[in-house]
Amino acid sequence: MLALSRKVNESIVIGNNIEVTILEVKGEQVKIGVKAPKSVSVYREEVYTQIKEANKEAVSDVAQENLKNLFK
Amino acid sequence: MKVVTKFFGEVELDDNKILDFPNGIIGFEDFKKYAIMYDEESQSETRISWLQSVEEPALALPVIDPLAILPDYAPMLEDELLKPLGESEDEDLLFLLAMTVPSDMTKVTANTKAPFIINAKTCKGVQIIVDNADYPVKFNIYESVQRMKEKAGE
Repeated sequence: MLALSRKVNESIVIGNNIEVTILEVKGEQVKIGVKAPKSVSVYREEVYTQIKEANKEAVSDVAQENLKNLFK
Repeated sequence: MKVVTKFFGEVELDDNKILDFPNGIIGFEDFKKYAIMYDEESQSETRISWLQSVEEPALALPVIDPLAILPDYAPMLEDELLKPLGESEDEDLLFLLAMTVPSDMTKVTANTKAPFIINAKTCKGVQIIVDNADYPVKFNIYESVQRMKEKAGE
């Protein structure tokens, strides 16, 4: 992981079209702004990880008989 | 084209039935081509289909029409996030929820937080995390279906 120190209102550029800016620092909370093309999704890590795990479970956890009986 | 599927063996699919997910799906971003498969007999009863990767046979998820389990499903999301789908009217959009189906039937869940959204006109799809605070990643389908049955019985 690359670690850079920034002050409020300073930015980091990723690739050639993503910019991350420190907007505000209040105690332990840091407000971060992200400028990125619409084709790039930006998520809080814990939400992304939760969805990723759910997708993986959907792929691996399949008891077929239960699917058929769900609405009976 | 011929597609090897997880549960339906090798299947011949019309090229125009292949869906393009430009950003893949969350956690599997490298896989961008999918098809929706279903067992004709059980589909009308269960409304459950499969989102099958045409690039990787083992990558298949059971998916369900949200309205079958949550009649007032109303996902909130920024229109910008639908850009990868191309031009669309509301009626062109199809929503499907990934299901987790463990051996305990009372624990079957659907991901109401991150639906797959497919544009039937352009055959493009995305998986979007919606803004609604009350749509969980693990929405219990069994409980919801029981509630619906009770209501119908009233």
